[in-house]
Amino acid sequence: MSSTPIAAARRRTELGLIVMAATITAAAYTLASLGQNAEIPPILVPFLIVLLGLLVVAHVANRVLAKGADGTILPLAALLHGIGYVIIARLSERSAGLQTTWTFVAIVAYVATLIIVQRAADLARYQWSFLAIGATLLLLPLVPGVGTTKAGARIWVSLGPINFQPGEFAKIALALFFAGYLADHRELIASGAWRVGPFHLPELRHLMPIAFAWGFAVVVMVAEKDLGSSLLFFTLFVVMMWVSTERASYLVIGLLLFSGAAYVAWRLFDHVKTRVAIWRNPWPQYEGKGYQIVQAMFAFANGGTGGTGLGLGSPNKIPVAKTDFIFAAIGEELGLIGTTAILIGFLLMIGSGLRIAVRSERPFEKLLATGLTTIVGMQAFIIIGGVTRVVPLTGIALPFVSYGGSSLLANYVLLALLVRVSDSSARHLGETPNELSPQERLQAYRRRREVARASK
Amino acid sequence: MNKQIRRLAVALLACYLALFVQLNVLAVGRQQELNADPRNNRQTERDFNRPRGSILAADGTVLALSVPTTRGDEFNYQREYPLGDLFGNVTGYYTFSYGSTQLERTQNDVLMGDTTEQKLRAIGGLFRGSDSTGSVVLTMRPDVQQVAADALGTREGSVVVMEPHTGAIIAMVSNPRYNPADVAVHDSKKAGQVLADLNAWPGKPLLANAYQERYMPGSAFKVITTSIAFENGATSLDRVFPNTKSWVPPQTTDPIQNYGGTVCGGTMVEVFYRSCNIPFAQLATELGPEKMVEGTKKWGIGEKIPIDLPAPAASSFGEVSDFTDQLPLLAIGGFGQGSTTMVPVHMAMIASTIANGGVMMKPHVVDATLDHDNAVLTRTTPAVWKTPILPGTADTLTTLMIGVVNQGTGRPMQLAGGIQAAAKTGTAQLNTTGPERSNAWIIGFAPAISPQFAIAVVLKGGPDDEISASTGGKLAGPIAKTVLDYLFAHPVPSGG
Repeated sequence: MSSTPIAAARRRTELGLIVMAATITAAAYTLASLGQNAEIPPILVPFLIVLLGLLVVAHVANRVLAKGADGTILPLAALLHGIGYVIIARLSERSAGLQTTWTFVAIVAYVATLIIVQRAADLARYQWSFLAIGATLLLLPLVPGVGTTKAGARIWVSLGPINFQPGEFAKIALALFFAGYLADHRELIASGAWRVGPFHLPELRHLMPIAFAWGFAVVVMVAEKDLGSSLLFFTLFVVMMWVSTERASYLVIGLLLFSGAAYVAWRLFDHVKTRVAIWRNPWPQYEGKGYQIVQAMFAFANGGTGGTGLGLGSPNKIPVAKTDFIFAAIGEELGLIGTTAILIGFLLMIGSGLRIAVRSERPFEKLLATGLTTIVGMQAFIIIGGVTRVVPLTGIALPFVSYGGSSLLANYVLLALLVRVSDSSARHLGETPNELSPQERLQAYRRRREVARASK
Repeated sequence: MNKQIRRLAVALLACYLALFVQLNVLAVGRQQELNADPRNNRQTERDFNRPRGSILAADGTVLALSVPTTRGDEFNYQREYPLGDLFGNVTGYYTFSYGSTQLERTQNDVLMGDTTEQKLRAIGGLFRGSDSTGSVVLTMRPDVQQVAADALGTREGSVVVMEPHTGAIIAMVSNPRYNPADVAVHDSKKAGQVLADLNAWPGKPLLANAYQERYMPGSAFKVITTSIAFENGATSLDRVFPNTKSWVPPQTTDPIQNYGGTVCGGTMVEVFYRSCNIPFAQLATELGPEKMVEGTKKWGIGEKIPIDLPAPAASSFGEVSDFTDQLPLLAIGGFGQGSTTMVPVHMAMIASTIANGGVMMKPHVVDATLDHDNAVLTRTTPAVWKTPILPGTADTLTTLMIGVVNQGTGRPMQLAGGIQAAAKTGTAQLNTTGPERSNAWIIGFAPAISPQFAIAVVLKGGPDDEISASTGGKLAGPIAKTVLDYLFAHPVPSGG
């Protein structure tokens, strides 16, 4: 296997950062266990081996399958994932066991994505399939007998023993569709067939598919009472329209649409009204729907600057602390320092993702990287903002940190796609040899054998 | 498209900055407000799983301690009070759901090891794995407390014993009392029920009436009136008051009578030990509202007792404006009736002041706070609160109070072994009409020369009960005698 100095340096950096992330996680895990039980748990060693092992597997996959990819994005995910795991283990031993299984599945999915998707550009060809997959996934929870309602939102699907949130995967499928379609049609849409005042509006037939996809997603999400996801899809759509057409008018239109939709939702739906009321003032509803958010505020205040220390707080007081409210649990036990570290972790990940987008030269890859990064960045903002009362609370998982198989799996697939785009541009820029992919090599080998056989 | 992507990065950065600002608001800006919210019991919950130091009596007897619980308990430690209800009103209780009271509340930081000094000292012990809890040592003696409690029996009232020259409280019984162990149970429902029952109890057992309750002082207040008269030169020991049965003060036609409607009079010394009412009504009237009110204020009446326990009460006499057009009220105030109410600890402080040459010390129950290695964190140094009278006036009052014990109403307080005591009795009549209700008082100190102990005893009478039918001398006197006799027989704490 040949490699260039740049690519080798990136992989070395990646390995070093992964070791750091694993060390921090192991130290935090030890502290949390000491805080709770005053002894080092005997399962620590196997845990460390499994964790390090899985991260090394992902790293080796990068060495083999994505030599030139950005070296910071995987360690950042590993760090967020590690801290999240420690908090989950500290909240519930049983959940920690399951989360370990999900970690294993997620890493397998990461490697599988890198193996299956050898060339990012290939994905653009399947844009319509992704639209169909996305739409199906979105509709699944509404199918009677399959979908289930948990905590007021109908976003779960039960197929035999498997429960999952299809929305987590739908967002990737729709980002792929948006990127593919907009890469093909962005100039047509941007040029605008007719003008209305300062706005250039495109021909309806170019706008139709994307408007349909977006409208469909938002309406379905609202039907499932999944406000967080609706907001995420809306932002994703507006951002991708704006970046692809380079027209700020889409931001204005998006803002107007959002204001209108928010107002209508507020008027029509009681649960939206309740959320807004709690956001503005949770205290009168302390005994009811405001309890969770007030407990989160108490948790942040109790944590203060340095936190109570891992295992020494009472984050179990916050309902669903291990999923939507995990950030408040971090705030209590790790304090402002810990929550700031998480914010910086996400910011660095956004930075890496958008750098990948800027470095890509092909519109599809550029848009895909932008869309995927927006998903992670906005999803984290929506839930952290909700928990800290910056925006009204809409339940959604904190990427990589929250407990949950669907979210973890989807986010590692998303990560693999970003890594693939990054590797593609490195290849394109000549930073790493543009070798044949294993599939291409296999084809070439078969061809040579056929030729050899034929010449005998 | 790169321009837009860079702008997107800036926009997302701005979003995260907003999150960072809000986190600062929650974790730093509003931290104190949010942590002070009673619904935020996270700190309490942590505290209940941490060790907590002990409260000790002067002789080392443990009054409150935390013991590790057995597995399966909600918390790691259980608070225990080995002496039951004897010190309940001093230590207070320490509960999960209902907060804490008295020393458990005010000394919480020391007990938890949370004072800055303890935290600094604990750094060295970080790797030894020792905890940093502190303990609180009191000036109080459990043996004396027990004697005083036994002497008081089941009657409602209070006994306060203190050192005149330091203000250190040796015993302080408040009846009715309660056992803090009943409230400190971890079963919140049970604790709540106990508290509800205690609150419904007529004698208010949760209130430490020794320093949180006020009683009409009756004739025991004559000490104050006399002191003000002497300080203002309005009387002398030789002054003779006529023998009368009644006297009509200004602004009224309603005459004032002596206790029991008797004929009473004589020299200043005689009217003091016989406890005639009319001479003191006359003294108060002669002094007038300004001098009387000013005099009572010098004694700290109207101010909260400066004791090192939470929520003390303030004695009350009244303001000048209350009396200007109400001279009869001032007249009866002169012998502790009407609107006058006194806190038992304050009465013990008044006796102490006379014993201490006119200097009033701040009363205190905490002698020292200790760290985990029993090294002293803080020690209470005796401090002067007020100097209400000159040493000469103190000597004069001592002379008058010796008369009370030797020839007057305070004869029941004559001590064993010929130790000379000085005292003043009081029988406050609470009702002018209807069933008889009165408080029985005695305040005093001993020995009369170089006093060692001052005491105040009050018994609250109910309608037509045994207390209301008797007098301060007859009821409170023997209690004071029992306690002081014990103290002189056992000057050193008798082991714990």
